[in-house]
Amino acid sequence: MTAILPAILPDHILSAVLVLAEKKLTEVSPGRTRLAFRSHDFELQEIFNGLRKTNKYPILDAFVFSDSGPDPYSPALSESVSRLQLSGLIGRENPDYEVVFVRPAAERFFNEVLSRELAPPDIDQLSEVASIFLGRVVTV
Amino acid sequence: MDSSTVPPTLPERINTFVEWLFDDYKPSVPKGPKVFNDALLGNLLFARHEVAVIDCPVMQRLRRIKQTGLVYYVFQSATHTRFEHSLGVAALAERCFNAIRERSDVEGTGFGGDGDRSKGDLAHLRMAALLHDVGHGLCSHASEQIYELMSDLQEFKSNPIYARNHPGEILSYLIVTSPRFKRWFEEFVVKECQANLSLDKISKLILGTHDDPEKWFLANIISSAYDCDKLDYIARDSYYCGLALTVDLPRFLSMISTAKYKGGRVLVLRNYVPLEQILFSKMTLFGSVYHHQKVKCLDSMLRSMVGHIIENPKQAAVPVRGGSVSFTDPVQYLYTTDEEFFWQPNGFGDEYIRSMLSRFRHRDLFVRCLEVSRRTVKNWDDGRQRYIDLNKVPQNLDDAEDEIQKRLQPAIRGNCSKHDIRLGIPGIPNIKSGSALIQTSKDADVEQIERYFPLEQWTEAYAHNKWRSFVYAPKEIAPAVRDAAISVLGERSGLDIDAAKSNQACHL
Repeated sequence: MTAILPAILPDHILSAVLVLAEKKLTEVSPGRTRLAFRSHDFELQEIFNGLRKTNKYPILDAFVFSDSGPDPYSPALSESVSRLQLSGLIGRENPDYEVVFVRPAAERFFNEVLSRELAPPDIDQLSEVASIFLGRVVTV
Repeated sequence: MDSSTVPPTLPERINTFVEWLFDDYKPSVPKGPKVFNDALLGNLLFARHEVAVIDCPVMQRLRRIKQTGLVYYVFQSATHTRFEHSLGVAALAERCFNAIRERSDVEGTGFGGDGDRSKGDLAHLRMAALLHDVGHGLCSHASEQIYELMSDLQEFKSNPIYARNHPGEILSYLIVTSPRFKRWFEEFVVKECQANLSLDKISKLILGTHDDPEKWFLANIISSAYDCDKLDYIARDSYYCGLALTVDLPRFLSMISTAKYKGGRVLVLRNYVPLEQILFSKMTLFGSVYHHQKVKCLDSMLRSMVGHIIENPKQAAVPVRGGSVSFTDPVQYLYTTDEEFFWQPNGFGDEYIRSMLSRFRHRDLFVRCLEVSRRTVKNWDDGRQRYIDLNKVPQNLDDAEDEIQKRLQPAIRGNCSKHDIRLGIPGIPNIKSGSALIQTSKDADVEQIERYFPLEQWTEAYAHNKWRSFVYAPKEIAPAVRDAAISVLGERSGLDIDAAKSNQACHL
């Protein structure tokens, strides 16, 4: 299978963060193999905007936030969430669809494509982001 | 207009375009207000200074751009234009403004909106609504999907000021702030018609912002999850497509208000039910109309023509007054409109363009060769990111289409252009477009809509059940293209497609 991926898209950044967070969850809780967490889209916006504002993770610049209005909002992040659902990398669960879960396809995509395309310093940044992310969401 | 004379920056090229628009226009001052009869909203009264704007070329060209692009080839009544939509949005903006004022009077809450039609908040709101779509070009969103990935607009999108705006909104903003438009506006609207309006305020409202946080709600009326743009296009598009969808406008208007929130005053709904109705209608429109397989086919055929023109600018350029355009930058999509592009008496371009124009004239459209969906992909649960990514990386999409053509047998390949094979990969509807806020009573907390009902479920359901993508090609070569596409998409995107299931779906 040819891996053609000349452009790193915001979707890829988000999926890498989620897969790396899942790996960290497995490390700290060996019995758990799947990342599922409670988060509405607006809460994801808050978390990523907070991370972006630290200026420590340039890779998150892919999510440009508009700060006009009361709530900073990144259409790129919002679209990435939808596109990962469309791609079958993440899903949302009944009954209230507040729970986001990472599907096995996300790990495969990370292992087969993203881990080869992303530079090691980028993966280091994303790992740090994943750790902070994991600390800010309520896993289920 | 040709690349040799293109100014270096996007705003400068926009100004050249506006100069070109005004070039053969003889402005005159309207005698007074005017009533426009709208099929959907009835009689709409516009003030003298608004009539001046409606009569100017940046608005009049919207008469020649269909609101729903090429949808009328499928829903034959959908010939309504961006022009009538713009007038409708202006009228609905005022109705929202008045509804908020009325509720504010009743509840005794602060409002702070100035209702003067020639100088106050209402005047700016109506003008922003009138002008919000002047950046639309050939076939509206169909061409927007092509030029949105061009570097000029990507640079703008990387600026937080424009981050939340669609490409068409950014172009509208640039037109309204262009020196040529400003000059005309100051002379004829501000001086001659004595309207005390600030183009700076108007242009910011078009972007969905306002410098004064106490007036954020005005920007929300123009651009938010339940803005007057959506109120109009959902009602108008469904009406002209013959779909029995509805927006219960009186109920919606009775439920909107403003509230203090995070240092400003924002638009809120007292009840989520009207918003639920808007979202349901929007999702139905996407499933039934905007993402209809034949509509996406027509969009793909337009992309075929545009792609050919970009690659062959000398023989295939589109004639426009005083020159020609070849779609190499976003502004060039503004110079021509649907009418001029498709209905030039002698056609234009080379043999390929003329054959494609003939296809449009006779509605001899490409057909579906292959469906990519949950029904036809055997390994659906393995993920399909590499396939979905194709619609964000034009070079990869072109490569995949080229590769499909290369795998056709030589006899077939020799009889088709590489632009005859199109992958139509729709995105997913953005059902909310930013925050939607609920405040159930004037003293209650302001909360996000997701606290009240599972909004994200709608995206999940659409992605899982409704989303479909197709490979299109001329009927004569459809089976061969299907076989080649199955092979290429299997190798490049890891998709294992069931040909028999796809044939059933495509009637092949």
